[in-house]
Order: sequence, then C-alpha cells, then structure tokens
Amino acid sequence: MEYEIKSAGDYTIIALSGEVDLYYSPKAREQILAHLNKKSNVLIDLSGVSYIDSSGVASLVEGYQLARNNKSRFGLVGVSDAAMQVLQLARLDKVFPIFQNVDEAINA
Amino acid sequence: MAIRTMVGGIGRRTLRGIEEFGYITVLLGESLYWLFAGKFRHQPVRVPAIFREIMMIGVAAVGIASMLCFAVGVMLAIQGIDTLKTYGAESKVVIGIALSVTREFSPLIVSILVAGRSGSAITARIGTMVEAQEVDALRVIGVNPVRYLAAPIFLAMLVAVPALTILGDFMGILGGAVYSAVELQMSFGVYFDRTLEALAIDDIRQGLIKSAIFAVIIAMVGLSNGFQVRGGAEGVGRATTRSVVLSITFIVLADMVFTYFLNT
Amino acid sequence: MTSESQREAVIEVQDLVTHYGERQILDGVNLNVYKGEVMVIMGGSGSGKSTLLRHLLGLRKPTSGSIKLLGKDITRVSKKEMFAIRRDMGVAFQGGALFGSLSVGENVMLPLREHTKLDENTMRIMARMKLEVMNLAGFEDLMPSELSGGMIKRAALARAVIMDPKLLFFDEPSAGLDPVVSAELDELILRLRNAMKMTIVIVTHELESAFKVADRITMLDQGKILITGTVDEVRNSDIERVQNMLNRRPREEDVDTEAYLGRLTGKQR
Repeated sequence: MEYEIKSAGDYTIIALSGEVDLYYSPKAREQILAHLNKKSNVLIDLSGVSYIDSSGVASLVEGYQLARNNKSRFGLVGVSDAAMQVLQLARLDKVFPIFQNVDEAINA
Repeated sequence: MAIRTMVGGIGRRTLRGIEEFGYITVLLGESLYWLFAGKFRHQPVRVPAIFREIMMIGVAAVGIASMLCFAVGVMLAIQGIDTLKTYGAESKVVIGIALSVTREFSPLIVSILVAGRSGSAITARIGTMVEAQEVDALRVIGVNPVRYLAAPIFLAMLVAVPALTILGDFMGILGGAVYSAVELQMSFGVYFDRTLEALAIDDIRQGLIKSAIFAVIIAMVGLSNGFQVRGGAEGVGRATTRSVVLSITFIVLADMVFTYFLNT
Repeated sequence: MTSESQREAVIEVQDLVTHYGERQILDGVNLNVYKGEVMVIMGGSGSGKSTLLRHLLGLRKPTSGSIKLLGKDITRVSKKEMFAIRRDMGVAFQGGALFGSLSVGENVMLPLREHTKLDENTMRIMARMKLEVMNLAGFEDLMPSELSGGMIKRAALARAVIMDPKLLFFDEPSAGLDPVVSAELDELILRLRNAMKMTIVIVTHELESAFKVADRITMLDQGKILITGTVDEVRNSDIERVQNMLNRRPREEDVDTEAYLGRLTGKQR
C-alpha cells in the first residue's frame, strides 16, 4: 500500500493506493488519525485502491468517528465498485459521506 | 474360544495402554515446549489463563484441603497416642505425626482431593469442548490446543498441588496439636517446638517432590482423557470417571515407588 | 461463464483415500472448486461428506492423495505454512463451536488476536461490523450460552469471516434451524459471496438450501463421488443413486444371500 497527501480547498486529501489489507491498514489508520488529530478536514481518496478489507474499512470508521468528535469534515472519494460492495455489506454506504470527486466534496 | 477372546482382550488392552502412554508423553512434551518456547514463537501461553486455573485448582480448594488434612492430623494423633500408650511413649506421637503428615499424608490426601475435584473437571471441560468441535475450531483458527488449553492447566497444577501440600502439612500438624492438647494436655508451643526438632528439610522436600509428580499425573491423565473423548455426553461422563479412577490409581502406585526410592 | 479449464481452482482434491482405523471412508475422491463459486457437498449420513470436510480443513491426514488449498498441498506443507494458509480460510462449524468462556465479541475477535497486530480499536470495530452484517448488533457482550441456535450459527459465521478469508467452509448451515431462519442464513451466505468474492464450500444434507445457494453440487455416496455438476446437471442426472437421493428414496441393494445369512447367524467365513 502507498499513500500520498495533498490538499485542496480546506481539505487534506489522503490518497491511498494498492491493497489496504490486514498488513497495511494500520499504516493507513495512522495517517488518517494523525491528520484528523490536527483538526484538519480529511478526504480519503480510494480511487487507487485495488482491494480494501474489513480492517481497512474499520480504520475509515474510526476516522469518521474521530472527525465527528472534532467537528471536522470527513469523506470518501473515488470509491470503486468492489470497495462499495464491502461498504454496502455492513450498510456503511449509508453512513459515510461519499463523493464522486474532490470538487463535489469541496462544494458540498 | 473363550481363551482366545481373553488373550485378545488382554492384547488389545495392553496395546491401548501403550498407545495412551505414548499420547501422554507427547502431551507432556508439547506442554513443556509451549511453556518454554511459546514466547519465542510469538505464541506465548496466556498468563491470565494460568492464574484462572490456579484459582480454580488451588485457591478454591483451600478450605476443603485444610479440613481434610486437619482431620488426618487428628486421626493420626488418636491412633498414635492409643498405640504408643502401650509403651508409655505417648509424647513421641509428635514425631510420628510430623513425619507421616509431611512425607506421606499431606501430598497424598491433597492429590486425591485435587484429582477428584479438578482432574474430573478438566476432563469434563476439555471433553465437552472436543464434542462441541471447539478444539477443532481452535485448530482451524491456528491456535494450538495444547498451548491454549493444556499448558495453562499443566503449569497451574504444578503450582497449586505443592502449594496445597504445604498448607496440608501445616493443617495436619495443627490437627495433631489440637488433639494432643486435649488428650495429653500438651501446649501448642511445646508441640510445635518438638515438631520442628523432629522435621528435617528433607521431609518437607520429599513431600513436595511427590506432590509435583502427582500434579503431573493429575494434569496429564485429566487432559489426555478429555482430548480423547468420543461418543457425546455419555462419552464425556465415561471419560470423567475414568480420569479420576486412573489418576488416583497412578498417584497411589507412584507414591509407593517414590517412597521406596526416596527412602532407600 | 468461462469453461472450467480456464477458471482458477482454489481447491484441488486428487485421489483422496482415507481410513478411520481399519475402515475405509473415502475412496478416491477427486474434486475441484473454482474461485468465487459456492460448492455444496451433499450426501447422506455415512457418505463421507463430514470426513471430506475434516480433510479439507487439515484436521486429519489422509491415507493417500493430495489436497491443494490456494495452490498449496496441505497434506505436505510445514506447520508454519499451514498457519499461513489458515489466515485465508474461515470455518463455521455445525454447532457453532463458539468458546463458552469468551463473550460473543471476543469469540469473533480471536482469529485477529492470533494472526494480526491490529489496534484493539480496529479489531473491535471489525468484530462489530461483522456482527452488524449477521444481524447481531449489540450482542457482542453476551456469552454464547445466552444465544439461540440461529444466533449461534450467525455468530460462528461472523467469526469465520472476520479475517475476510478467501475460502469459507460451512458445515450444515441449516441443521437444527427452523425453515425461516435457515432461509435467512442462505441469503447471508450469498451476500457474503457477492460482496467479498469468497469461495464457499458448504456441507449439507438439506436439498432445498443446497439448490438455493449452490453454483455447483457434488454428491457423495459411500465414500465415492456420484456426480459433480451445476444444479441443473445434478437435477437432470440419469444416475439412479442421484435421483434416489433427490427423491429421498431409500437405497435398494442386491442381497448377497451367503453373506447375509452369515451375518444373521453369526457364522462369518
């Protein structure tokens, strides 16, 4: 798994790529929580993710909860069909703010 | 025909005995392996589990073990004083009680108690887990059942039985002291002084070595009968009875053998 | 659908022969299961289906033959390799096999504790997510003894899929459940397969649930495979034993007079 940090508007964008699985999700979690602890608004870009498992999704859940506690904004962009199905299984597609692209998130 | 059946039966039983001995040896080896090497394989034996077992095997048995050993002490005093009266040597009863309690009765009574209380419970618990496929579930998850279930019990038994034996030593001697105080008007102070004079470290050690051996017997017989359960709830019941009977049998036989070697 | 030769086999059983003591249980079983399919192994009691499952799970060593899971022959791998393979497989046992001394949540988390170094929080969220999927939200702090039969099966399924395994084995999903609960469980199995792209092997004797969830069915009888095929292929098979099983007709066997008399009179030769 690789990650890249960008910023757009008032968002910090964490772009994950590759496989977010049991081995690599702790790294993703660390990044997500670190940026949220800086009270940033965070967007997770999943467009480069080939596979995300429950541990990855669990890290996203933890991030979203932290964002809500901090009153900062959080969202997902570039959710692939495969990732969407994993989210849908636990009905999380109805929980996360999911955007088509970064612009949509900024204007939302 | 009848002879052939009988010989066949003996053969089968011998074979089964050898098989079982082999099984127990492997189980013992694996338990020791996980206790020592588990840490290095990043699959340590869980410490909380060990303490939980010590609570169940040892701490929960403190009351009943104390009572039994106290009663044995009283009984030895009654018998001893009665016998020694013939020679007018009643006061020598102190030595007799001190030696027989520490070397023999305390480890034996405690072990038989633990075999009946915990040996059976271990077989029933493990046997029920085997029948409910919980042991299979552990294996498919990748958890070694010996490390997860057997090793904590083994270590707890090795701690609890000798600890109870030390308690039993004290309670047995106390039982003797109480009866002697009533019967011989011997004060506790004098009684305990004479006991300490009579006892050598070696007597206590002998009892403790035995109790450790008995602990291994109870753990291994209880565990192996549990892991080899077959045939549903009825099978668990049979295994439980078998476990207690075998444990006590081996304890008494081992006691005889070790008493011989430790005293000659 | 692509032809079988092009599909990736994630389970390959070859010439599997097994014994229980002296008795032969499986007699030359060959079976391939392909990635992403639901394979149902059917058979009556004594057909050897449970034994086959135990071998697929690596709980028993066969007399001969090989079993490849995800390309690795589990009859020959080292313990370390087997441990690694176990990360990719989940098993839901017939009676649930939840550990009575652990809460439902701890039961579900146990594979994570043994195989990963994930943060406690992550593990908890993962377990709760799986319990949500199984409609067991809020039950994590209960003990297994406080659950009903259907709930135990679902909790066991949650534990089986906690690591998002590539292979899921399910032993008798509908045994002991009423038809409604059993149908719900079938739905769950299909949802899991679709969302997580798992390959699923189900062992059952229930025809109805088998036809509902299976992509392909394998029928075992007396240690041998009668037929392996799609649901339609099995339904339309002209093999008599297959039809007998589908129509629940008892087995009719030729009577060997001499052997039968011998059995009755106790004078075996």
